[in-house]
Amino acid sequence: MRVAGLTKQILQAALFYEIWDAMKVTFKHMFHKPMTFQYPREQRTLPDTHRGALALLRYDDHQERCVGCDLCEAACPSRCIKVISSEDPERPLQRFASEFYIDITKCVFCGYCVEACPVNALAMTKVYEFSTHDKRTLLFDKKRLYDIGERHLDDAKKYLYAHNQEKNVEESREYRYYFPQSVLKPTQPPPKHLG
Amino acid sequence: MGLKPATNPDVEAATIELSIDGKSVTAKSGVSLYDVISSTGKIIPAMCYHYTFDPFGSCGMCLVMQEGKKAPVRSCTAKAAAGMIIKTDGDDLFQARKKAVEKHLSVHPLDCPVCDADGHCELQDMAFQHGVTNLANAKQKLIPEDTRSPVLDFNMNRCIACAECINVCKDVLMIDALQFMKKGGFNQVVPKGDLALSCEFCGDCLAVCPVGAITNKFSKYLYKPWQMKKTTTTCNYCGDGCQMYLETKDAEVVRVTSPLSWKNKWGDRAETAKGHGGLCVRGRFGFEYIDSDARLKQPLLRQGNQLVETPWLETMHQVVDRFSEIRRKHGPDAIAGLITARCTNEELYLFQKLMRTGFRTNQFDSSARYGHLNFVHASRHALGIGRSLNDWEDLTKAKAIILIGSNITETNPLTAVRIKEAIRVYSAQVVVIDSAVTNMAKLASHPFLIAAGTEGLVIDGLVKATLELDLIDEKSVMKHPQAFEALKAGVAHVSLEQVATQTGMSVESLKDTARIFAESPRSIILCAEGIVRRPDGYRNVLKLIDLAWITGKLGQPGCGVSTVTEEPNEQGAVDMGAAPEFLPGQALFSDQTARDRFAKAWDVTLPAANSGADLVEILKRCRSGQIRALYVVGENPLATLPASMEVRAALDRLELLVVQDPFMTETALMAHAVLPACTSAEKDGTFTNLEGRVLRVREAIDPIGESLPDWHIMTALANGLDCQWGYESSNDIQSEIMKLLPGYYNLGQPRKVAPAIDHYLSNGYTRDVVERYRATAPSDFRNERPFALLMGQVLYHSGKMSTKASGLITIAPNTGRLRMNPQDMEQLALKEGTTVRLTSDRGSMQLAVQPDQSIAPQTCFFPEHFNEPPVKDLMSVQVDPTTGVPTFKQTRVTIEKA
Repeated sequence: MRVAGLTKQILQAALFYEIWDAMKVTFKHMFHKPMTFQYPREQRTLPDTHRGALALLRYDDHQERCVGCDLCEAACPSRCIKVISSEDPERPLQRFASEFYIDITKCVFCGYCVEACPVNALAMTKVYEFSTHDKRTLLFDKKRLYDIGERHLDDAKKYLYAHNQEKNVEESREYRYYFPQSVLKPTQPPPKHLG
Repeated sequence: MGLKPATNPDVEAATIELSIDGKSVTAKSGVSLYDVISSTGKIIPAMCYHYTFDPFGSCGMCLVMQEGKKAPVRSCTAKAAAGMIIKTDGDDLFQARKKAVEKHLSVHPLDCPVCDADGHCELQDMAFQHGVTNLANAKQKLIPEDTRSPVLDFNMNRCIACAECINVCKDVLMIDALQFMKKGGFNQVVPKGDLALSCEFCGDCLAVCPVGAITNKFSKYLYKPWQMKKTTTTCNYCGDGCQMYLETKDAEVVRVTSPLSWKNKWGDRAETAKGHGGLCVRGRFGFEYIDSDARLKQPLLRQGNQLVETPWLETMHQVVDRFSEIRRKHGPDAIAGLITARCTNEELYLFQKLMRTGFRTNQFDSSARYGHLNFVHASRHALGIGRSLNDWEDLTKAKAIILIGSNITETNPLTAVRIKEAIRVYSAQVVVIDSAVTNMAKLASHPFLIAAGTEGLVIDGLVKATLELDLIDEKSVMKHPQAFEALKAGVAHVSLEQVATQTGMSVESLKDTARIFAESPRSIILCAEGIVRRPDGYRNVLKLIDLAWITGKLGQPGCGVSTVTEEPNEQGAVDMGAAPEFLPGQALFSDQTARDRFAKAWDVTLPAANSGADLVEILKRCRSGQIRALYVVGENPLATLPASMEVRAALDRLELLVVQDPFMTETALMAHAVLPACTSAEKDGTFTNLEGRVLRVREAIDPIGESLPDWHIMTALANGLDCQWGYESSNDIQSEIMKLLPGYYNLGQPRKVAPAIDHYLSNGYTRDVVERYRATAPSDFRNERPFALLMGQVLYHSGKMSTKASGLITIAPNTGRLRMNPQDMEQLALKEGTTVRLTSDRGSMQLAVQPDQSIAPQTCFFPEHFNEPPVKDLMSVQVDPTTGVPTFKQTRVTIEKA
């Protein structure tokens, strides 16, 4: 037992067995495809349910979806949303968000706001790169959020579909809120979808 | 259902017994079953019920099972009867209520996200409570929104036809501006006749709407209810002292809501005698002055011709240095002060303390001098009490109310609601004697229109009629036979016929009024601006007290002579001693014991007893150069007093004029230093309302800009004058007042006061009474100047402050037009907008006219809130010799086409 063990030890020492043993994994990986991504040269494909930067959406006719109902603000657990709503000066009786802020530094990406939104104006995109030299730029305002929505419209829609918020274009119309008209213009026809 | 509460002062309702959920309950006979159930603490949902008016029974939620009946019954419209066996819980009832909610929801749009009522909506609460998820056969109404009214939007898609708005408007406020109308297949609430809403805009319909069918235009779409901070405070517009909730978001005042709301609907009908919790148009929609852009945000110092923004420290140094210099050179009597009664009690107290112990002068006055002091002096002189004898409960439960010279629905709308309740619920007889067709006259049982300025004569006539008809109360009169003889002799020369021809009130109606007043068990005389703000106000109040005395009404519960105040804290100004003749607690300044007490408490020697000066005297001394420095807090004498008072000349002569105000007033433009003060929404304190009730004012938002509360500025000023005051909050001042005036902070109900006239009747009455009823030569200059020009308050405004509230200005802008009776206009061949020349003894001016049905013939009216055109300058001023009250609200004019 002692002799056999000693012989093995000597042999291993002579053949640098431990080094070969340690390098085994390394050599094995020389024949594998690499596991890591060469970020940022390579980008990962994200699933549709990915919760990234929030975006505000518009309807196909370019109207803002958001009606400024403040429900996202109420649902937000980290209190990073601020909505200031008012009556649209150009379209009387229409409620809209005159200002909309999301402090993305505070956001925990839980997606509650998207769930709370009654008109599916909010959606999450696959944007996750927020690095910046100036932290203040991470307070997303209304314009920035609509820009994100425009640039990543497909992702946003995919997010909504993936989360069963909305199924297709036809169905998205059901969520649209049609405001009553003012009695000042009685000749206006009722909205088409309800006619 | 009966309209009246089951128990009132005249009728005690019988007690019945019934069983609710197996428990035996006693109740008053004649009340709604719903009230009985809610009085046991059990709340059943109901959407159309509110305790302030009769049950309507449209929502179908208050269902209960009554033994012996197959179907559930609506408990609100069912009267409680003896021996009923009621079950309020159970799955069958839950399902029945759920059906009712589903019925309402199926025609209600699911637009909660954009609805202003979201989060404060009874239908929403009920849908949650009953777990309504599935709505088959939902339909859309597609009714356009009625946005014609300047304050309210009607979105009838959301209406559940509970009729709370209609009922509160018709039953409680007796305005009746809303109705149901079947339009487009749905019953809708529309303004009367489906025209644009035109009413008093009190907004109580908005408060009771359980859904978002009626919404506030001022806060439309701005915030959801849960986002706002709610502060309970006291309204700053009139002496009613209504409680209100100021809803704010950061530094922005968003809206005002009232204790009256669908949320607090459970109460006893009898409780409304103390107020129904609503607000008027000024309280609800006149909040925009608080965060208006016109607010002063920085102290200003005069440099040459300009007022330049200067830091606080530098301004205060300058102000203190110049005050001390003037005091050193010319003595303390070169300094005077004026304060507005819109300040809190604490500030009024501090102001008089600053004047008396800091500047060591007794030359100061408050805006209570414009009228309220007439009443206070008269009442104090005769009865020993310097305030109204009656509270709201007395008014509600009165059997007879004589309203003389008071357009109460305009000046004090919520006190007017008490009188309306007296008319409607307790069937009181109301006599309205006024020189205008007031709104109250339209509801009163005995409305009388009199010639302008003859209120005093009418009172003479009433006293005479009481004597002639022998309506006197033997018991009270026989105690003081001498005084009674003197009174009889005093009015001996009065003839009812002559009074009738001069006033325009017939002999019969004079007698009727006297009879109503004397024969009712609880009768109240309410006199206001038509008495106390007119010449001889002091004498006329004393005459009214005479009338109450000989009919035996003084000292009787629920009877008395009362007044209403225009500014929120006029009563407080008098109580806090912000008048040269009074120390705090209405002790006379010349009273040696009181002087000693306060001198000891403040550790100073008070100014000499006779050195005081009131408003008129201060202005006179300013003109003569005797007063060199004036400290004005919130007052604006230049815009208030007519030109004949020569206020501008008086202010021009001053070496130092310091104005402390939230706004840039006309007076402030002349000042050497302007200190930005806070409005009442930015400070803590108390107001004393017209009942004598002390009400809390709470800080709702941080001071705007660099403005500071008045007490803060006054403390700094006093410390600059070596006073060493250590007040750090208004609480510190309060505790000092509490020590000096124990029992003043009677938060809650006002103390009942018992008038004591005996002392007066046996001392000096006989001497007074001769002078009081002295026959005045009938001043019949009607031929010379045929019209009486009256200036007064309109419902939508209060003083000059409300003109800074943009909402009120939208509702009632300054038309700049003279209001005239349409008949007079026809006679003079005037059309709306025609320019006329208005001439009084003091001058003449040109302005356009507009018709107004509420103006009596031979009179014309211009609201006192506006100086564009300066109609006030046509007025001549008469100063009451006893009380020093300047009266300038009435004059005679000629009107001719220009």
